Amino acid sequence: MIQFSNVSKSYDEDVVLRDVSFAVEKGELAYITGPSGAGKTTLLKLIYCAERPDKGQIVVSSWDTAKLKQSTIPYLRRNVGIVFQDFRLLYNKTVFDNVALALRIHDMPPKEIKGKVNDVLKEVKLAHKAEILPQHLSGGEQQRVVIARAMVSRPTVLLADEPTGNLDAETSKTITNLFREINARGTTVLIATHNDSLFHGTGRRVFHLKDTHIEKETIG
Amino acid sequence: MRTFIYSLQTALKSLWHEKWINLLTVLSVGVGLLILSLFITISLNIDSSLKRWSKNFGLVVYLDEGLTGEAEETLKQFFLKDPDFSEVKYVSKEQALQELRRMLGTGISVLEGFEDNPLPSSFELTFKRKLPEPSFVRRKADQLRQMNGVDDVEYGEKWLSSLHTLSGVMRTGIIFLGGAIFIAVTFVTYGTVKILFYRRKDEVETLKLLGATRHFIRLPFLVEGIFIGILGGIISSAALYGLYSFIIYKGPQYLPSISAFIIPLPLSVYIPAPVAGAVMSLIGSFFAVGKIKY
Repeated sequence: MIQFSNVSKSYDEDVVLRDVSFAVEKGELAYITGPSGAGKTTLLKLIYCAERPDKGQIVVSSWDTAKLKQSTIPYLRRNVGIVFQDFRLLYNKTVFDNVALALRIHDMPPKEIKGKVNDVLKEVKLAHKAEILPQHLSGGEQQRVVIARAMVSRPTVLLADEPTGNLDAETSKTITNLFREINARGTTVLIATHNDSLFHGTGRRVFHLKDTHIEKETIG
Repeated sequence: MRTFIYSLQTALKSLWHEKWINLLTVLSVGVGLLILSLFITISLNIDSSLKRWSKNFGLVVYLDEGLTGEAEETLKQFFLKDPDFSEVKYVSKEQALQELRRMLGTGISVLEGFEDNPLPSSFELTFKRKLPEPSFVRRKADQLRQMNGVDDVEYGEKWLSSLHTLSGVMRTGIIFLGGAIFIAVTFVTYGTVKILFYRRKDEVETLKLLGATRHFIRLPFLVEGIFIGILGGIISSAALYGLYSFIIYKGPQYLPSISAFIIPLPLSVYIPAPVAGAVMSLIGSFFAVGKIKY
């Protein structure tokens, strides 16, 4: 589902990733871990083409990202749900409109959008806050809005960048459970985190990123 | 269609949300288009006046001395058949003298030295087309001079050339002013949409990351630009209508001769400004949004 083959990426002289190779299978939930600045975010950005590799090949679903034209990138991104570290919510739009935006770009009829958004907001237990602006929500609630937005179009792949970064233990647990539920429905999930507790005891594969390459692969 | 409706809603919300910058832009576009509309209107009036003044423009064909009535009739029939002329009027020697006497009035004594009528008989030929080209008139006059029985052909050559020069200057002025206004309006909209685009940069980035196409991202800004242009055009047309109505109804009170220059404007004159505003602003918006990179 996600395959990296000898991928390298650097910013000017600063090498971030060197000859990184790994694969996440279809329907798998896996983790990328490593200290801050190890290149986790860059690795995720390479998957949704916000960055391009200097070398190597990245295949996402059936898309070879190296061969993608600029005009085709949006169609890849529609198949990849992203939970951003900084949320990227639009604070002048309600929770409902933030989530609906992911469907509006698909040119979906408003009636269908309404049904799907209400369903996904129920899943993340925010249906009662649909008409509220995001700034009036707690950090955990905002994170759930972001997950709802990433999931509403039912992408085949879900990427999460430090999804529990600023959340307390209880809220982190709720978010982690949400990812498990999403994965249980067949979505491939890749979570980048520096928080060991997130994958300990899960029995899932964990890729350890250190000094620009995948140092080891363990079972959490 | 749904994308267009979404863009329309987004553009209207942005127009309201960023009302002050949009209002200033609409007014700037309106003033630019009003200047152009006024210049075109003035040109239309001058052009119409020129055509009215030159309505009876024609040639005077002086005939040879002692031409027979039969020869004169042949010439008359020839002129009547000529498709370039709308009117052919014969002026006999006597009529010419009478006219001259009438014109001289008290200065009639200058004719006392003449024993015979010195004036030739002539034909006054009026052109069908209003304000004909000087080169065309010259060619026609030369052609008539070659005819048997024709002594000379006269017309107001300098006057005709002056009218044409004036008309040409106005036309060139419209092209230059139109070009300048086009650039100004396009730049004003370019600047505003660029600012609006940067203010919504986070939204644009998020849309890109969610998988929005370039078309989806661009359209709301283009629609907003079109709205700005149309509103500016409407303001320009409304101001022109107000100003023109004022001149037509109140102008003669202060400047009686003005009614000789002013023509009533048809309603269709007010439509081009909003259309031109929309086109100019669309071009400005298009360049402001630029190439969207993922």
